[in-house]
Amino acid sequence: MGVIVRRLEEDDVVENFDSKDEALNNYLKKHAWSNQQKISIAVTYIAVDESAPKTVLGYFTLATSAIPPSSFPKKHVRGLPAYDLPLILLARLGVDHRFEGKGLGRLLLREAFRISISVSEQVGCRCIITDAYRHKVSWYAKYGFIPLEGGGEDKTTQRMFLDIRTLKAALKA
Amino acid sequence: MPATGTRKAQRKNTRKPKFQADLAPVEDRMVRSLKEELQLSSNSDFMADAVALFGWAVRERKRGHKILSESTTGEREVLLLPRLERVAPAAVLPHVNITWNEKELESLMELTLAEAAQPTEALVRVMRS
Repeated sequence: MGVIVRRLEEDDVVENFDSKDEALNNYLKKHAWSNQQKISIAVTYIAVDESAPKTVLGYFTLATSAIPPSSFPKKHVRGLPAYDLPLILLARLGVDHRFEGKGLGRLLLREAFRISISVSEQVGCRCIITDAYRHKVSWYAKYGFIPLEGGGEDKTTQRMFLDIRTLKAALKA
Repeated sequence: MPATGTRKAQRKNTRKPKFQADLAPVEDRMVRSLKEELQLSSNSDFMADAVALFGWAVRERKRGHKILSESTTGEREVLLLPRLERVAPAAVLPHVNITWNEKELESLMELTLAEAAQPTEALVRVMRS
């Protein structure tokens, strides 16, 4: 299986995608294209097989965000530059359940990392943030994501942080 | 003597970098066949043309343009090359607002101000692959 990761296109076949997670399925089928092309709030990248280059096997969605210094607790702000903290949001990552266990998630994550490094070098960005499902926290932690405090056990997701400097260090290691 | 030394230094400075590649037999056959088809006599000419073509493809994908072939009957086939897709992302991602609570922001700030964590083994492996 020769897998390629590329940007989502309008005529890609998303209808059959099934990650066994309704939210992830719905996003790809109903929102990914319009969010990317029409209202431009996120970009979705898909994994396809070379032999069926239109059928989505897995995907991830990225967007940028920033936190103004006024949002941070006062005790931390002192001494910091008065600029927004730029970051990349890994908003979605899902793999079709029929292709689980083939390393697709890892491949998608790698591409998300590569894009993040590229973005950080071109426009600046400090970290990657993702809201991971609680049962996926250890998977993200394996790749260096650190859980942020304050998530609350009642939430279905855990907010996690990965420093761009850590990513760059991994490239040089 | 100084003039000779200067000439030597100039020659050294204008020396072209060498490029050596290990080719599998099938790739070697392909290169030879392409050189014949394109009537290129030297590997240097072959490399120069290949680099020019690759450079053009990278520039086009960076601009978000697709690279495709069109048959005489209008059927189109888009070129998909994983390495080219890496430059395609058009770098600028859209912007969204995220909701944060105070504790999360505090935790984020602490991590941001701290030394970056060392990459995990899995992260190093994934970035190398």
